[in-house]
Amino acid sequence: MSRRREARILLVGVGGLGCPAAMALVQAGVTRLGLCDDDEVERTNLHRQILFAEADVGTPKVEAAARALRAMTPGLELSLHRGRLLPDDAVALVREYDVVLEGSDNFPTKFLAADACMLAGVPVIHASAVRWVGTALAVGAHGRPCYRCLFEDVLLAEDAPGCAEAGVMGPVVGVIAAAQVDRALALLDGREVGGVLVTFDGRTGALRRRAVSARRDCALCGDAPRIRCIEAEAYLSPACAG
Amino acid sequence: METIVRIPTPLRTLTGGADEVTASGGTVGDVIEDLERRHPGIRDRLLDDKGVRRFVNIYVGEEDVRFLDGLKTALKAGDQISIVPAIAGG
Repeated sequence: MSRRREARILLVGVGGLGCPAAMALVQAGVTRLGLCDDDEVERTNLHRQILFAEADVGTPKVEAAARALRAMTPGLELSLHRGRLLPDDAVALVREYDVVLEGSDNFPTKFLAADACMLAGVPVIHASAVRWVGTALAVGAHGRPCYRCLFEDVLLAEDAPGCAEAGVMGPVVGVIAAAQVDRALALLDGREVGGVLVTFDGRTGALRRRAVSARRDCALCGDAPRIRCIEAEAYLSPACAG
Repeated sequence: METIVRIPTPLRTLTGGADEVTASGGTVGDVIEDLERRHPGIRDRLLDDKGVRRFVNIYVGEEDVRFLDGLKTALKAGDQISIVPAIAGG
């Protein structure tokens, strides 16, 4: 428990995944959280972003989340980063933390978090949910296999719908956030959790675990990695460049 | 030989909403060609001219075909194929 109390955990994305993840972390004894998100609470968020209430609509998510978490557990040490994770300071930001929980809603941020955490030597647990399906992948501080071993490079928006276009079922984010937190706590407990992709299908209730293998030609963690620093143009896509 | 293929949510528009379908073939590539005959349009969502698209993972059982024999991976009775695409949302 003392490790949990001392650990600094950054949540990249305080939405459908970040809200239940933050609650679960705090209830598990984590006291030092960073919250990173650039959005404001919208009414359409409320069914799955369970830290927020009607009165929070229009409020920056990091502020509404901090208020709810402090009401739940006084004495938390919260750092609010109102804005997206950006190439300019991503490595410096994640380096301030022991574990990163990445639950953003866009691919540029996912790949940026993956790259920044690898370069900073910080473990990261990636999670996503769209419609009825969710996934979670933990990447240890050693970094292999990594998110780029699974999905090689930033996708164009038309290649995969996000939650804004496709929607997401509330219970799915709860299950995946629980898996994400479970992986984070296991990391803090010193257990090896990397290399397993957890998938959940909310329509069938199937929860599966699949081994993820490291790619020798991975640009980030392969035998001859090509990503040695963060270059902003690598994270541009039609989804975020406009 | 018929193989069960698990279809992820984003591709179920091509399978009439089915989360599992069957397709015939002795290899993963053969099964995808049969999937295309039964559910037109699905091949382009899975493959490009280099093989399996970079944002899609195809598993036989629990093994990623990239670490087996790719599209030439031979199938045996009882194998199941799963498709796991990249998603971003929450």
